[in-house]
Amino acid sequence: MIHKQSLERISDWVWQVPQSFRGDMRAPARVYADEALLDDALQDESLTQLVNTTTLPGIVQYAIAMPDVHQGYGAPVGGVFATRWPDGVISPGAIGYDINCGVRLLASHVALDEIAPRLQDLANALYRNCPSGVGSEGSVSLSAKQLDDVLERGAEWAINGYGRRQDLERTEERGRMVGADAAAVSKRAKERGKDQLGTLGAGNHFIEVDRVAEVFDAFVAYRLGLFLNQIVVQIHCGSRGLGHQVCTDYVNDFQRAVREYKIALPDRELVCAPLDSPAGQAYFKAMACAANYAFANRQILAYHVRRSFEEILTGAVKNLDLFQIYDIAHNMGKIEEHTIEGARVKVCVHRKGATRAFGPNVSGVPTDWRDLGQPVLIPGSMGTASFVLVGTTAAMEQTFGSTCHGAGRVMSRARAKKQVRGDKLRDELMARGIVVRAGSMPGLAEEAPQAYKDVSRVVEVVHHAGIAHKVARLEPLAVIKG
Amino acid sequence: MSQSPGAAGATPRFEEIPHTADWSFRVFGREPRELFANAAHALFALEGATPRQNAAEIARTVEVSGLDYEALLVNWLSELLYLQEAYHETYHHFDIEFLSPTALRARVLGTRLGALDKIIKAVTYHNLEIKPTSEGWQATVVVDV
Repeated sequence: MIHKQSLERISDWVWQVPQSFRGDMRAPARVYADEALLDDALQDESLTQLVNTTTLPGIVQYAIAMPDVHQGYGAPVGGVFATRWPDGVISPGAIGYDINCGVRLLASHVALDEIAPRLQDLANALYRNCPSGVGSEGSVSLSAKQLDDVLERGAEWAINGYGRRQDLERTEERGRMVGADAAAVSKRAKERGKDQLGTLGAGNHFIEVDRVAEVFDAFVAYRLGLFLNQIVVQIHCGSRGLGHQVCTDYVNDFQRAVREYKIALPDRELVCAPLDSPAGQAYFKAMACAANYAFANRQILAYHVRRSFEEILTGAVKNLDLFQIYDIAHNMGKIEEHTIEGARVKVCVHRKGATRAFGPNVSGVPTDWRDLGQPVLIPGSMGTASFVLVGTTAAMEQTFGSTCHGAGRVMSRARAKKQVRGDKLRDELMARGIVVRAGSMPGLAEEAPQAYKDVSRVVEVVHHAGIAHKVARLEPLAVIKG
Repeated sequence: MSQSPGAAGATPRFEEIPHTADWSFRVFGREPRELFANAAHALFALEGATPRQNAAEIARTVEVSGLDYEALLVNWLSELLYLQEAYHETYHHFDIEFLSPTALRARVLGTRLGALDKIIKAVTYHNLEIKPTSEGWQATVVVDV
């Protein structure tokens, strides 16, 4: 456990664990937080796990904890660090098992009053059309060849039949990670993935119908196509069993790789291999495949969401169209160039429970919005607000173009289940006018809002620290969970 | 949650340990084979896995290898998760037929899966420790949920 007195204050919103804190650190570790969020982070192993990531060979500048940081395994959730190409390492456990878990935001042309009478029907249609829950199978049946295509082409594979070109333009990496090679994905991972495409899964994954409740930056909101009381939809899910198996396979393989490369680590979950080694390259190719599977998964779920809107709202509203605002990844390793101590350096940015937040005029931001910065989507805990922000130049300078990803847990799932009953929570949310469709009541209890940090507080930190800029706040109307 | 295999007061098979985001459990066994079997029991109990009604019993042989006991435990539990998801099954009996520090062979009995409360995504090496105690063996495992 790390104590507050071990930290140096860098600014109003940034603390630092100096490199001298532990002999095996290769760089300092920084925390973005206010006093209360820092106290939360100090209550579990979050910052010890962050310090552990600074021992990885090739790490540059410093490791970073976002204000939503919480204890995970290997690296903390809400952790970011970069390793120098080509001799720095890539670590599967520091990216996570749910590779490219992420969020897609679709926006409608209608306001709340136009759909309010049909909200229950809409929630029912979404629950019916978007396969969710444990063991759910998707509507897409894939041959072995088609699965390989999905793994190498991502959302681009799904566009014909399940989307439109604009969706790709408004997806991180245009929905296709370059470098994916299906041959690097095990037979077992493919078996797990063959019938799960287009499924939500369970846990903290959800589809949520929201209204735009507050606009902070009218100009940026207008440019993105957001307006007050507008109906929007969030889709939060990842690469399902395929991604879990890819990470499992390579964490296992890398147990040998660290011996081969003589890498000493404080935690076996952080096993890694040099980026340009055969082992490191194999993992990167497989991770890119899992990321592509997740992009395709959210693309197909977006199709089902659009279909549900048509099913329920045809004749009731003039314009049924749902256009994409953005689709972002939370768990990824990305090869990027950043300016470090005045020089452009090619690095692998590990984001685990963190969002890319590229600023204005940076390659990779959708052309239409290049002057605004990349849209950043921050889902809150169930029943609370979510936020739309844009990336900033400060994020490029301070955090390898990264920001937070959500609220961040503060309470264990076991404690949440003891304190909260799923059916009571559902009734409380419904009393607040939020429609809930959930397959598992214990699962619902685990995701109770009291198990999470205050997302508004988290967003205030990244906004004031300058590593993302607030655009709009969303409030939930209907929650669909497995 | 904890689960005891026998009479009141007996050492439980496993107990949950608080973890902010994921799940952690401590598992016990009088000897390594029982430890590995009890770890499998813990996995399926934590998931709340229930069999499909009137489903026929399924038997599988599981063989895994690893660099050491810790890797072997991760690979054993990971293999069970893979089988569960790939074949939609759940398992209730684990007969560890052979166990060395680097290899395991087990006969596993189960049925078609009825329902799960929770998906365990993966078994991690984080804080993983297998050690002898005065009563036998003990392991600590963190799983990603």
